[in-house]
Amino acid sequence: MKDIDKYNKTDVLIVGGGPAGLAAAIRLKYEKPELEVCVIEKGQELGNHNLSGAVLEVMALHQLLDDVRPGWMESNKAKEVLANKIEKDSITFLLGKSLSFNIFFMIKIANMLGLSLGQMMHIDDYSVSISRLTRWLGEIASELGAEVLKGFAAEDVIFNDVKGVVTGVKLIDQGLDKEGNKQPNYLAGEIVKADFVVLAEGCDGLLTENLVGKAGLERKSDQLYSVSVKELIKVNPDQYEKFTPGRVVHAMGYPLWRPVIGPAMFGGGIIYAGMKDHLSVGIIVGADWKYHDFNPQDALVRFKEHRFVEQYIKGGTVVEAGAKMIPEGGYYAIPRDPVSGSIGIGNCIIAGDSAGFVNMLKIKGLHNAIISGTKAAKAIASSISEPNEAAKQYTKLIDNSSVDKEMMSGRNYRQTIAKLGPLFGLPISVLGNLLPKFKVEKDYEVMTKAKYRFKCKHRFDKDTFTAVAATEHREDQPSHLIIIDKNICVEKCAAKFERPCITFCPAGVYETISDEVKAANPSNCLHCKTCQRKCPFDNIRWTVPEGGGGPRYQRM
Amino acid sequence: MSDYIVLVKQVPDISQITDNAFDPVSGTLIRSRLISVINELDVQALATANHMRDISGGDGKIICLTMGPPKAEEILRYSLSRCADEVVLLTDRALGGADTWATANPLAFAIRKIAKEILKNENDYYVLSGMQSVDGDTAQVPGQVAEELQIPCVAYVTDSKYKNGRFEFTRIISGGSEVAAVKSKPAVITVAKYEYPMFASFGRSRWAQHVNVIRWGTGDVRASSIGAKGSKTAVIRVFPPGKSSRKCEQVEDVGTLSKLITKCLGENGLKSAARIQDDGSYVLVKNRESLFDRRFEGLEKEIKDYALLVEKLQELGVGEPGDLDEYAKSKLIVESGKRFHKNTLEAMLEGFNLSEPTYNGEVWVVAEIIDGQVHPATYELIGKAKELAKSLEVEAGVLLLGNKIKDMTDPLIWAGADKVYIVENELLEQFDPVVYRKAVSDCIEKHWPQIVLFAATPQGRILAPMVSYRCGCGLTADCTRLDIKDSSRRGEIAILLQTRPALGGNVMATICTKNSKSQMATARPGVMKRLPEDKNRKGKVIRHEVNLSEDDVSLEIIESVKGNGEVSLDADIIVSGGKGMQNRDNYERLIGSLCKILEKNFEKRVEKGATRAAVEQGFAGRIRQVGQTGASVGPKLYVAVGISGAIQHMIGVANTETIVAINSDPHAPIFKQCDYYMVGSAEEILPKLVQSLELH
Repeated sequence: MKDIDKYNKTDVLIVGGGPAGLAAAIRLKYEKPELEVCVIEKGQELGNHNLSGAVLEVMALHQLLDDVRPGWMESNKAKEVLANKIEKDSITFLLGKSLSFNIFFMIKIANMLGLSLGQMMHIDDYSVSISRLTRWLGEIASELGAEVLKGFAAEDVIFNDVKGVVTGVKLIDQGLDKEGNKQPNYLAGEIVKADFVVLAEGCDGLLTENLVGKAGLERKSDQLYSVSVKELIKVNPDQYEKFTPGRVVHAMGYPLWRPVIGPAMFGGGIIYAGMKDHLSVGIIVGADWKYHDFNPQDALVRFKEHRFVEQYIKGGTVVEAGAKMIPEGGYYAIPRDPVSGSIGIGNCIIAGDSAGFVNMLKIKGLHNAIISGTKAAKAIASSISEPNEAAKQYTKLIDNSSVDKEMMSGRNYRQTIAKLGPLFGLPISVLGNLLPKFKVEKDYEVMTKAKYRFKCKHRFDKDTFTAVAATEHREDQPSHLIIIDKNICVEKCAAKFERPCITFCPAGVYETISDEVKAANPSNCLHCKTCQRKCPFDNIRWTVPEGGGGPRYQRM
Repeated sequence: MSDYIVLVKQVPDISQITDNAFDPVSGTLIRSRLISVINELDVQALATANHMRDISGGDGKIICLTMGPPKAEEILRYSLSRCADEVVLLTDRALGGADTWATANPLAFAIRKIAKEILKNENDYYVLSGMQSVDGDTAQVPGQVAEELQIPCVAYVTDSKYKNGRFEFTRIISGGSEVAAVKSKPAVITVAKYEYPMFASFGRSRWAQHVNVIRWGTGDVRASSIGAKGSKTAVIRVFPPGKSSRKCEQVEDVGTLSKLITKCLGENGLKSAARIQDDGSYVLVKNRESLFDRRFEGLEKEIKDYALLVEKLQELGVGEPGDLDEYAKSKLIVESGKRFHKNTLEAMLEGFNLSEPTYNGEVWVVAEIIDGQVHPATYELIGKAKELAKSLEVEAGVLLLGNKIKDMTDPLIWAGADKVYIVENELLEQFDPVVYRKAVSDCIEKHWPQIVLFAATPQGRILAPMVSYRCGCGLTADCTRLDIKDSSRRGEIAILLQTRPALGGNVMATICTKNSKSQMATARPGVMKRLPEDKNRKGKVIRHEVNLSEDDVSLEIIESVKGNGEVSLDADIIVSGGKGMQNRDNYERLIGSLCKILEKNFEKRVEKGATRAAVEQGFAGRIRQVGQTGASVGPKLYVAVGISGAIQHMIGVANTETIVAINSDPHAPIFKQCDYYMVGSAEEILPKLVQSLELH
């Protein structure tokens, strides 16, 4: 009847409505308003699947918005999103359960000496809620005429290997029951065609990794990941004032690392002041932990119990929580076309966390995500007549930008620590780029029988954690978490590592039922994808569930 | 081929209430802080319309209609992205603040306009809507729309089939289900369940953004009653529900547990909002010692204000309202100027002159018959009606309708009725909404009782809206509390205050009737208290003749099934099993045996429930799932066996009166959220419990 079919094709399709994807949409509609730009987002609403600390370098927003929305800093929305300017930057070293030392001066010294470690300073940045930031960027994108479609999940990218271009993406089938039978409301996933595709899916993107495989993109070094768990805690006004509204704290040491005796994990805790009377408290831990019984949430509990942290949050209420991975591999882990070196291929560009633009020296990636989105837009705008040049154009723009500079300067940091451990790695990483590129193992390969020393006695209450993450999926759909070979869990993993997925999954998705490990509660999944990267036998695959499912973060 | 008009509503998402949605001072839920979504049952109604169009091989239009603020356009776009062809937004400031009456009225006028202008005067269409919306939960609007349009209404539809050129609808009725077809079109269909909501396609979603939304204002539809002015009820107070705290008592042996179960099932009535306190029954103004006695104002604040005013008056030497001269009045105005506005003060003083009740007439209950017997809820309502009637010094009446019912009047009188009005007619053998509506409204319009109560059963919840609309009276659904109070300042004495939960039980609202000759309300079964039976009571039986004919019958009932094996989680007792049941056999056997004995001992409706985990394991069908993603239940007794007590599950049982938990894990979180618990496995405890209950 209607002309609905014509809507299955668009000029530009952006996969992922996060900061990178929305930045690309905003810039594209600004520079080429005549282009049809569609953004698809698997979350029910924008921001629902975005989780970050988050510290934002505001220059990224200036690059994005200064000419699109002159005077944007004065808008109410901007003031709301950027309400917390960082005025106090603390780096604290925690030793044991109660001792803490401020070591910010060390970073200052490193900064003065021009060492790359000195980048870890945050004064004049903003502590933001990435969910809110994303919603706001989405509003701007929509106002400019970009079509932001929420609740649409893509399961694959369609790659023409003869032409070396991406012709579109395949959306997931909806309305299948648990066993995969078609229900009366079954709707086959459409193929959406596009002249340009931007993959901005976030960390460990499903389509990105599919494209890496199909198009033969290469990484010089395997991607390394971190897992972060974060809670937004409502505290009383006195605690909030005591902490200081414009403050961020980064903590190292306990409970992830102690000199010599262990545990020895890379990472740390964060406390960021958020909106009034709310503190973000989280743990970020390198996914190359070796303790088979380790759960990042246990570390979060320990961190919260530490005297330094407890004083600010005691008696508070966890109002939101979530988990997510961070790509930490840095410069060498950016997927590139081996021939042209492009980040992406032909008409398909990889941006933001999907590409891995996180600067681990700064522990920040949000600004790079936004900048890479703007560069993707620029590249597309200049390749209208030659779509297949887009990825190359984009890579050129990235190579000449602050993103590349930052990524280069930190290129050995994370691998050095992965190779040498935090004790030696951290100080040695100060040598930065004088070091060779270490070859490191994949995160999942390093699991051992060792036990985590600070494991909590009581099982972490994952049900409540997922409840405040407000995660939900339609129950009667095929499990989107796939255990490849069930026998491995029983025959190999049970004896060797005691099925660590059951422990480390922050949502309690995995359970042993009648001696079999099952993704028993896929509807609790937080889309963090830790399981896919940390199963010691690489035996789990995260596929995408029906759109609209997953966590519903509002203020993360 | 038939066309479809689907009524949709934008509602706050009550499944996602964050802590900052509550006012820190008053504890009241702030509606504007909630996310707006399309009402879930309307989504199902939309899918039902699409399903009907599919199975009948039709090519009719699906037109969605909503009334709301401009923002409600979002849900129309949502509907377009599924299956709607055209959408109409009825939006106007003047429509705001409407109750169900003033919502149904303009919607019905808009439907007329759609039929005339978009469907070109075709009468071959259905109006579909969700049975109720999650914010109001009243289920009144669809029935009232049908009444305004004078067309049949099939309520609580769960399935539709197309046979011999017409639709056959399966619908829930009190105590079972039936299959019915409408005798004429157009007709209103309200959907209680359709499991397969539609998904949006990418192409349709983009197209939906480009479709022109038809916008109508009050000038376009020319409805007769709109906005707060056209409403027949008014919310006078919104307050947070009393937090019920669970007892969390550990029980050591099954003997004690079975006694406790017996005890809590024996107690009649809810401990929830229904009976927080009874602050002395109402005294008519004429029976009070002084006209200054204004202890029975509906709002605490008014009682205080009046007390203060009386104090001031006495200081001025005014002993009774008649003594108040202009001098005293002007002095009073000066003196209490800080506390009261002049107009307020005058209204309050005016109130002193009132002594006669605002409403006259009896207090009625419309009885319901189920399986040839009077529904237990009717007796409960008679208890309440008698109490209200007593304080109003009027008689309590019961309106009994049916065929061959004249022998059923005695128990009604024994339960507290002073009069029984009976309408006997062959056409009342089965419940047909239009026939019943006609009989009830006819009788009401003859006698004009001041209060009419209905049971909030599937039958009462469709009959009451139609009757109230016909009689031009306001109606409040699902009341948990009914009180007679004054609102002297507004010039109302001895009016019925109707308190009910709203927004999924997150707030309580007190409502009063206005612009009506009679105050009407429905109350959920089990909420009001039945009086002890008194076989010596005498009462009058009055026959009322209503002119009914075959032409009045709106539905053809094809089949009706009593207690049809369908799972109905609105049972009095629910025994649920969780993952701790280990396997399906245990679940069936152990839970089943406990259900059986409870049913036998207490003669209550008992149903098996399950947690999400148990459903996932295949212990029970998804229809039995209780919790956030399953059903929310509110039985008198909830027995949780092998359930850990995850918050997602407990949300669904929050309205339960008594929760008993059995779990082998002594640290199970459920033990902190229940009334009584035993530590132990299901295999060990349940058989013993059944045995112990058998002895009672």
